[in-house]
Amino acid sequence: MKKRIQTFLMKYSSSGKGSLYALILMVVFLIATTPSFVSMNNFLNIIDQITINGIMAIGVTLVIITGGIDLSVGSVLAFSMMTFGVLTKDASLPYVLSITIGILAGTACGLVNGLLVTKAKIPPFIATLSMLSIARGLANIVSGNTQRYDFAFWFSDLSGKRYFNLFSITTTLLLVLTILFALYMKYREGGKRIYAIGFNPEVARLAGVKVERVTTMVYVISGTLAGLAGIVLNSQLSSSQPYAAVGYELNVIAAVVIGGASLSGGIGTIGGTFIGALIIGVLRNGLNLNGVNVFMQQVLIGVVIAITVGIDMLRSRK
Amino acid sequence: MVKRSAASALSGTSAGKTLRNIVKGPIVGLLAIILFFAAVTPGFFSFGNFINIFNQIAIWGVLALGMTFVISTGGVDLSVGCVLGLASMVMGYAAEYLGLPFPLAMLLGTLVGPVAGLINGLLVSKVKLPPFIATLSMFYVARGLANIITDGDQILNYPAWFIGLNYTRYLGFITVSGIVFLLLVGSSQFFLTKTGAGRNLLAVGGSEEVARLSGINVDRHLILAYVISGTFAAIAGIMIASRVNASEPAQGTTYELYAIAIAVIGGTSLSGGEGSIIGTLIGAFIIGILNNGLNLNGISPFIQTILVGVIIVFAVGLDMFSRTRGGSRPQHAA
Repeated sequence: MKKRIQTFLMKYSSSGKGSLYALILMVVFLIATTPSFVSMNNFLNIIDQITINGIMAIGVTLVIITGGIDLSVGSVLAFSMMTFGVLTKDASLPYVLSITIGILAGTACGLVNGLLVTKAKIPPFIATLSMLSIARGLANIVSGNTQRYDFAFWFSDLSGKRYFNLFSITTTLLLVLTILFALYMKYREGGKRIYAIGFNPEVARLAGVKVERVTTMVYVISGTLAGLAGIVLNSQLSSSQPYAAVGYELNVIAAVVIGGASLSGGIGTIGGTFIGALIIGVLRNGLNLNGVNVFMQQVLIGVVIAITVGIDMLRSRK
Repeated sequence: MVKRSAASALSGTSAGKTLRNIVKGPIVGLLAIILFFAAVTPGFFSFGNFINIFNQIAIWGVLALGMTFVISTGGVDLSVGCVLGLASMVMGYAAEYLGLPFPLAMLLGTLVGPVAGLINGLLVSKVKLPPFIATLSMFYVARGLANIITDGDQILNYPAWFIGLNYTRYLGFITVSGIVFLLLVGSSQFFLTKTGAGRNLLAVGGSEEVARLSGINVDRHLILAYVISGTFAAIAGIMIASRVNASEPAQGTTYELYAIAIAVIGGTSLSGGEGSIIGTLIGAFIIGILNNGLNLNGISPFIQTILVGVIIVFAVGLDMFSRTRGGSRPQHAA
């Protein structure tokens, strides 16, 4: 019986497409059962809601493909957010400058992560777990553990105002970054090197890949994108919060694994991750529209993670 | 993560031999931190203060004990914080909403643990989900269920005797919570080092294939590890309800990370196959003393958060450094 299920799954889903089918199934089901789901505004809302998760997930996908993991992205987001907020409101720096420095705060955290993993040889789980604590502490200290608010209107419009009744600046940012990184990973040498490290670092090294440099780079990217997400969240909330994004890293990792990436490395795509983020977003949206208790949604997300990855596991077993 | 060689996984003395090696580093760290705070902080080096520390670390300590078993098999249990919260809520619900006698409510709350652990164990062993994913799912499911029970509300006003379990000191110093922690430490240590099942857990962590080939029922032992972890998490849930006189769905948030950190600081290796309960106990003390010492010195709790992160990196870094120098197989950085 298991064999028959396995062959069935293998016939109808090649690697990475499993999540796409799941998404399509979910969308079709919702179209059939939930009238309020089928509206342009609703679809746009979904994309808006997955923006933060989606941006962070790009960086974390790269890290996971190399066989590592980044647990610090939620805290790094908060640190960047508070750095930006404090520089804008307390130091009255021009926005362009404070946004840049805020994002660089994320880059710095990513660099530390990368160096801990490549130079100090700390397992990524531990290194980024530490950064999770450290960045959160820094977010609190930098801000004196208080919020910042009253940001410029144009700044909130970055996420609030839709152009051509379609996408906001921040959502466009998500889509552009997703496409750029997806193309990079698929067609550029750099992308192939990242996959190579994930498959086997030793073989990659022998093939001439500068493993340490590339590995450090993916953590830098992850930190930078987390920093960017912090600015986006600040725009969405119109305030900087030291306790923002607590626990977000697990949501991000959920999107990445639902999208088909393997925690052992070497497998995964940016497109898949985007679909993973969409699956979570569509699930939440559909459940909301159907009045399902928000807590039950949490339970269902847990079940979806187990099922989608479980199907992958059953599929790939010889 | 690279698995250790077959020979070392099977070697019957691997658990015992590496214990001394595992624990050496953390002990030095513990002594260093005690000496440091004793030197700079009046009031630190007192019996009363140590008792405080011991009682404070009991909850994280219990979680870390359970986590040690899971990490020893080469896995991780991300759900312990949420299982803690769920157990606390189930107990509260049974007592206040269903009107059950309190000890029965405590039992029901505790049962949440093995049930969650069994599911985790089955997902890992039968469905072959990576432990990170399986327990991540349980994380969401348990947290969601904890919220659903009372639609997010707290449960308050527990019996005085129940609160006393955490606060009443017997013989002038030990609370029932503390005794429970000690008993769990003792039985865990005995189980992991002196029983066949315990040694089998370590063998499974060393190399699943080799363990299977040498006749160990890998699935059963994996399930056992997660059931233990879940049960300990549920016990910690009861303990926390006693400590704060309330059950709240968000209890235990981020605790899983501290449990992992404590186990790793104590020398348990994330690659599996090496685990030490004594090491975990030392790790718990290190974190507890750090928090206590910094508090006594009036250091901002946020600096404490940063320092905990730094300590974790140092402890693991030193551990890795001493392993590669000591001639044992180098650990893969992933």
